[in-house]
Amino acid sequence: MAAFPINSNFQGDFVMQLVPVDTDDTMDQVAEKCAYHSVNRRVAPQPDKVMRVRLHNASESFPRDMKVSDANWRPTETLDIIFADQ
Amino acid sequence: MYQIPRAEWYDLTRATNWTYSYVTEDEMFPEEMSGSRGIPIEEWETYDEPYKVSYPEYVAIQREKDAGAYSVKAALERDAYVDRADPGWISTMIAHYGAIAVNEYAASLAEARMARFSKAPGNRNMATFGTLDENRHGQIQLFFPHANIKRSHQWDWAHKAMHTNDWAAIAARSFFDDIMLSRDAIAVSIMLTFGFETGFTNMQFLGLAADASEAGDHTFASLISSVQTDEARHAQQGGPSLKILIANGHKEEAQKLIDVSIWRAWKLFSVLTGPIMDYYTPLEHRSQSFKEFMVEWIIIQFERQLADLGLDAPWFWEDLTNDLDVTHHGMHLGVWYWRPTVWWNPAAGASPEDREWLEEKYPGWNKTWGKCWDVITDNLNNGREDLTLPETLPYVCNMSQLPIVGTPGNEWNVQDFPLEFEGRLYHFGSKADRWCFEQDPERYKEHQSLIDRFLSGQIQPADLPGALAYMGLGPGEMGKDAHDYAWAAAFKKQAEVA
Repeated sequence: MAAFPINSNFQGDFVMQLVPVDTDDTMDQVAEKCAYHSVNRRVAPQPDKVMRVRLHNASESFPRDMKVSDANWRPTETLDIIFADQ
Repeated sequence: MYQIPRAEWYDLTRATNWTYSYVTEDEMFPEEMSGSRGIPIEEWETYDEPYKVSYPEYVAIQREKDAGAYSVKAALERDAYVDRADPGWISTMIAHYGAIAVNEYAASLAEARMARFSKAPGNRNMATFGTLDENRHGQIQLFFPHANIKRSHQWDWAHKAMHTNDWAAIAARSFFDDIMLSRDAIAVSIMLTFGFETGFTNMQFLGLAADASEAGDHTFASLISSVQTDEARHAQQGGPSLKILIANGHKEEAQKLIDVSIWRAWKLFSVLTGPIMDYYTPLEHRSQSFKEFMVEWIIIQFERQLADLGLDAPWFWEDLTNDLDVTHHGMHLGVWYWRPTVWWNPAAGASPEDREWLEEKYPGWNKTWGKCWDVITDNLNNGREDLTLPETLPYVCNMSQLPIVGTPGNEWNVQDFPLEFEGRLYHFGSKADRWCFEQDPERYKEHQSLIDRFLSGQIQPADLPGALAYMGLGPGEMGKDAHDYAWAAAFKKQAEVA
């Protein structure tokens, strides 16, 4: 496990933010870490939705249980965190 | 004694070059400093400045200006305006002085480069006055705020800001170093005076002078009006340089110098002037919205001036025009949310009345920016101030050094414009920021943004308190909400009444 910096672009927020995640984190954990700096701060929560992680402007999200170490990201990769039904 | 009228001797003396015998022309005017671009010196001697003034005239006028501004200050000192002014207006002044005063000294060096190294005698003549102008601007904008240090240490940032690693200082230095201090004389005349001063300085100084008069701050109004009259004169140095470049086959490069300068100036002013005009200046004293000022002073003015010179509007003109509804709202929200990282107290400008005004000036504000402010307002009214303060850093652009922002809320659209160059991943806040980098990667590629410095371990401890220490912000200097959240409480009262 190792710290890994990403650039968080959270749906509904106005700014991108530096968020440290871990290479052992799953995509759900990455989304949670990003949400900590946006949801209930400047973005209203959406309790009936799940949060999904995708590469910036990509159409497909990563599988929720996929690990950061398997995602082939570059350090400071820009990721969109979006609310989805599943 | 009879004096020959200026018109009879001016053209002869200002076009005078001397014949050097101990050095060559290249030694006298090294290309990297002069930037003559292979254009013969005879061509540069045709440089025709539109504003003509002799040294005795200059001294007499400047003496009157200084006497006027300093006497207004002295006369109103006992009035203690600063003690009763709206906190939002105080923040305007403290932010302005910190961002501008020391950069005026830097501008003095840029003017001196033209005064010494330009091959155009007329440029050298005007720039000599410009050097003196900028020296005066540095002095007067340090002297006036100095009188208020007894009120708050934040006023001391008029001098301190540009000597720190505060993010706003890094952004300002990145821009001013680029256009003023690391270019040849001709590029300076175009990027500093034409690209920056004709439009953006005008807007900052004329716009603020109008707002200052409205707010009853006659000391500040007279100071910045005094500065602006100098700017209006020495800003005219770029036009004649452009004419010579265009006439000698350098139109494309001239256009590029202008485009880079205008874009970078726009981004800096979106964080400096935008919040001041639309959020800090008390509602009843706002003369125009930032967007209205931008359209009048930048969009329309540049279009006309560029067309007069036979140049095009910058390729990003449509993007810039669209950004007038977006960027400065994001910069403002960012500055307010990360308020401990600035040397002034940001005014939220988000009371019920403010929001009505914002919706009128920027239709759709409530369903976009308002969504973020709704969450912030609720947190403040529910005793959760902690959620209105940052715990990480915003990601900053590798060109503007400012946060990468975009539209939030229902029309969410925040875009990164990344670039991998020589194995390093750069992030940019717009297509135009990335384009500036691509025009001259050697110039920009080594620069480390605040985020790069954080990630490379230069900021210790590697957390927000460590970052605040790195920025040089001490107790009593870090920003807090200018009105102690009274604007948020107004919503609570409104709800109680309903």
